[in-house]
Amino acid sequence: MSSESDGGQSVSKKKRGVEAEAVVALFALAGLVTAAYGSQDFFPELASRHGEGIDAMLNFVLACAGGMFLVGHLVLAWFIWKGAGRSRIEHRMATHTTERRISLALAVMMTLIAEGGVLMIGMPVWAEYYGSDGNAQAVAVRVTAQQFAWNIHYPGADGKWGRVDLQFLDDAENPLGLDPDDPASADDLVLVNNIYLPVERMARVKLFSRDVIHSFFLPNMRVKQDAVPGMSPEVRFFPTRTGDFELACTELCGMGHYRMQGMVHVLGAEEFEKWLADEEPFFGAAAVIGKADVQKKGNA
Amino acid sequence: MSDHPQSFWSKYIFSFDHKVIGIQYIVTGFVMAGIGALLSILIRLQIAWPGQPIEFLGKLFPEGMPGGYMMPEFYIALVTMHGTIMVFFFISYVLVSGFGNFLIPLQIGARDMAFPLLNMLSYWVGLVSALVMLGAFFVEGGAAASGWTAYPPLSALESAVPGSGMGQTLWLLSMALFIVSFTMGGLNYVATIFSMRAPGMSMMRMPLTVWSYFVAAILGLLAFPALTAGAVMLLFDRHLGTSFFLPAGLVVGGELVQAGGGSPLLWQHLFWFLGHPEVYVLLLPALGIAFDVLPAFTRKPVFGYRLSVYALIATGALGMIVWGHHMFVSGMSPFSGEYFSIATMLITIPMAIIGVNFLASLWGGRVIFKTPMLFALGVVAFFGTGGLGGLFLGNATADIQLHETYFVVGHFHFMIGGVTLMGTFTAIYFWFPKMFGRYMSEGLGRAHFWFTVAPFYTLFLGQHFLGLQGLTRRYYAWDSYQYVADALPTNVLLSVAAFVLVSGQVLFLGNFVWSIFRGRVAERNPWQATTLEWTTASPAPHGNFGEHIPVVHRWPYEYGIDAGGEDFADQSVAPDRAPVTA
Amino acid sequence: MQAAVTATVTGSALGVGSELRNFQLRLGMWVFLGTVTMLFAAFSSAFMVRSAGTDWHAMPLPRILWWNTGLIMLSSVVLDYGRRCANQSRWGSAAAAVGGAGLLGLLFLLGQLDAWRQLAQAGISVPTGPFAASFYMMTGLHALHLMAALALLGWGAWRLWRGALDDEVAVRGVASLCATFWHFLGGLWLYLFAMMLLL
Repeated sequence: MSSESDGGQSVSKKKRGVEAEAVVALFALAGLVTAAYGSQDFFPELASRHGEGIDAMLNFVLACAGGMFLVGHLVLAWFIWKGAGRSRIEHRMATHTTERRISLALAVMMTLIAEGGVLMIGMPVWAEYYGSDGNAQAVAVRVTAQQFAWNIHYPGADGKWGRVDLQFLDDAENPLGLDPDDPASADDLVLVNNIYLPVERMARVKLFSRDVIHSFFLPNMRVKQDAVPGMSPEVRFFPTRTGDFELACTELCGMGHYRMQGMVHVLGAEEFEKWLADEEPFFGAAAVIGKADVQKKGNA
Repeated sequence: MSDHPQSFWSKYIFSFDHKVIGIQYIVTGFVMAGIGALLSILIRLQIAWPGQPIEFLGKLFPEGMPGGYMMPEFYIALVTMHGTIMVFFFISYVLVSGFGNFLIPLQIGARDMAFPLLNMLSYWVGLVSALVMLGAFFVEGGAAASGWTAYPPLSALESAVPGSGMGQTLWLLSMALFIVSFTMGGLNYVATIFSMRAPGMSMMRMPLTVWSYFVAAILGLLAFPALTAGAVMLLFDRHLGTSFFLPAGLVVGGELVQAGGGSPLLWQHLFWFLGHPEVYVLLLPALGIAFDVLPAFTRKPVFGYRLSVYALIATGALGMIVWGHHMFVSGMSPFSGEYFSIATMLITIPMAIIGVNFLASLWGGRVIFKTPMLFALGVVAFFGTGGLGGLFLGNATADIQLHETYFVVGHFHFMIGGVTLMGTFTAIYFWFPKMFGRYMSEGLGRAHFWFTVAPFYTLFLGQHFLGLQGLTRRYYAWDSYQYVADALPTNVLLSVAAFVLVSGQVLFLGNFVWSIFRGRVAERNPWQATTLEWTTASPAPHGNFGEHIPVVHRWPYEYGIDAGGEDFADQSVAPDRAPVTA
Repeated sequence: MQAAVTATVTGSALGVGSELRNFQLRLGMWVFLGTVTMLFAAFSSAFMVRSAGTDWHAMPLPRILWWNTGLIMLSSVVLDYGRRCANQSRWGSAAAAVGGAGLLGLLFLLGQLDAWRQLAQAGISVPTGPFAASFYMMTGLHALHLMAALALLGWGAWRLWRGALDDEVAVRGVASLCATFWHFLGGLWLYLFAMMLLL
């Protein structure tokens, strides 16, 4: 295993085998290829205001973690390369002082990167995401998740939510269980899997679930919030561009989890007003669904 | 040490010997790993080629894959069982229970565990737990399908998903048994390490492997009971009509559920109070093992022994108070999110110290290429890779986008999949001679390394990038989602990597079985290592150390010294025969 | 085989002396009690979370629980007397006291069963509400632990009975082990009972 040596430096050198070269190449390439591949832009197209902050947070961590990943792998490869060429060790132990200093330096570095990132970049965004208080201009929407659809509820022109009661619930005809007798219900809009929002106005989406836990994920908006039965968390965000953006469920909710897909349509301000005006209220066409009819089905 | 005559049954089956129990755990764990790996193949087939029928699988799983088409409910049951089996019945059994049992008494210089009877019971309860879990595949509705996290209400109501019938009940019973089994084992670890160290073996002379098992055992003992409580309450909800986790007004499958007032988040807190420490219970032993194996192949002491001990303890302590970082978007208070984020980031400090101590342990050393060394290098590299992923997910703000995406899947496969798998193989190749008195084949071992590490990097780094693209996890198919359309072709490559990875393990299996009977006979100390297990015969005899327990005179990393023609001294070498350096 | 089991349990197969064995058993017991503490901490945090729910109705607890509380406290006193007798090598009294404490414990269990019966007669069952469910669950799990402790007490009484014939240090260790487990479960009952009275 070890060659006899008289202490001369040249004697302690050893020829490296193919295997050493391969292992060095493995770790070096893992670092280099990943860093090169990872320097692309991976995020879905950004479409919300606070999303810039989330992207900034992600990019900061990507840069720091990517840097450490690359350096770590190259150092590992370098130590293996050097070590494979030795037939005796070069130095044995560092002093306790050196060991402590290195650990202290690491502690400072990780504090700056990890805690610094969280506190300086992350928390303001977190506060913006959760803390933005009521905004008179905001568009309020309620989303009730169920296996396996998103029921979307707008209060309509009166700004009042119709009463929702389980007794009126009917999967086909009244998926929200909206009370047909409540005057506030009369102008309410109910849609399935489609949300319409105006651009550059705060959206306040209140989440409900009827059965199991679902999660409301808008990849482009950098929005994700679980819809937990018995709770009604609200997410708030500013869409910054018009277009159609996908909605996905990100909490395992049963066998149809993967097809719980929805769409957020972000419209220009005028377009949105036009859509609001044109969209038929849920109980608007009383001829289509008579109140009594709904009630009967609800009780069934 | 009386050597009473032993029958086959008392020697190999109902044995009190910690080494036999350890090997029983290891073999059981590998069988479970084989099952978990086969499940992962089915999962990867569906992910890469959704909707493609595979006829012979249709014959094997007539209900789950009729005509070879995978059913969505079968798919999520596969995902659930793959996760559960790999976490609790592979890594935990092989690495924590298996090697923990085998190594602790040998490395601290004890004849056996403090409570051998309890130890044997631990294995048998553990085996029953594994069998109950597997039994879930054969009951009506199939295995549990609510994810390895089993969030209610999905896991509480049979009408929510077919697997939430009998399959989920068995899942919960199995977990409760698992925790009972772990408690018996962990109790033994703590008591043994506290009370049975050889003369001279102070706590600060223990190998880092033993330290890591010590921290892991305490962590598990304190954290796991929370899930026992959770499992009891969920069983009550499921079968006795209570509503600990079920809120009022649930309508599932068109039926109103008679329940009210419960909190689904309560389960998540209880689950993750177990779940996060569980990660460290699995991870720390792999780190400890790498710390012990690296010096044997660099021929120099480990770097920063004391600081590594403190870092292991700090990681364990912090690991108890950060469970909420799995729940950033669960609807938990945003202030809790801030706390858990800040607390989680503190863990990066001891983790970074451990990572750099690994690297520095190579610094200036030789590198001798043997199979255990290759896998130990894998531990180092994967620990760095996986650890850096934690910087993203522990950060509440970044986690808003990454939660429940493939970034998470990639991350935990590197940590509780990769580091631990590398640690497991490091341990197997390193201590196989002590277990069976023979070497494993070096050629096959090295081939196994390449067939494991290269596809592992591809598969799970790839998943990180899919996660950055927003690819959601636990999806049966993504065909209809436009925003990830570009990402989907990558999955074909990743599936191929997964198949290479799994088939590469055949090399290991063959090597393992072949070497038990035909491997080159190993001497007492084949790696010229320093810890106490190498001072006894290979395989280690019943009672471990012959007539006298060794007396310890030095720390466990006495490499790179001049000791009469050798460059190391084991812990029992007296100070007058070799210099004591720590 | 039986000899091997005995040797393993007493530690003689491990080359462990009686003093060390006592330490190990005490240590193992305390670690175990640590996990039991965590288990009931999880239950009580669930109890507290749940008590904030709108459907939470605390119910009057059967009066017999007070008698049971008295019984288990008395049994702890008796057991401690037994432990002290063991220290003074009065093996007969020690065995009688430990056995007596076990009988009181058995009475406690019967009393708990009667509390269940009374509640069931009043129409209060597990699904009645979260308080009732928690009551049945926590008393049931406490009773399970108590049964394990009773088994230990039975074994302890037997060892004490044979005390003079046996290794005295080891037998005293067993007595103190019984006491530790039993006092802990008594304390745990006081905690659970107080929590259910107050919330």
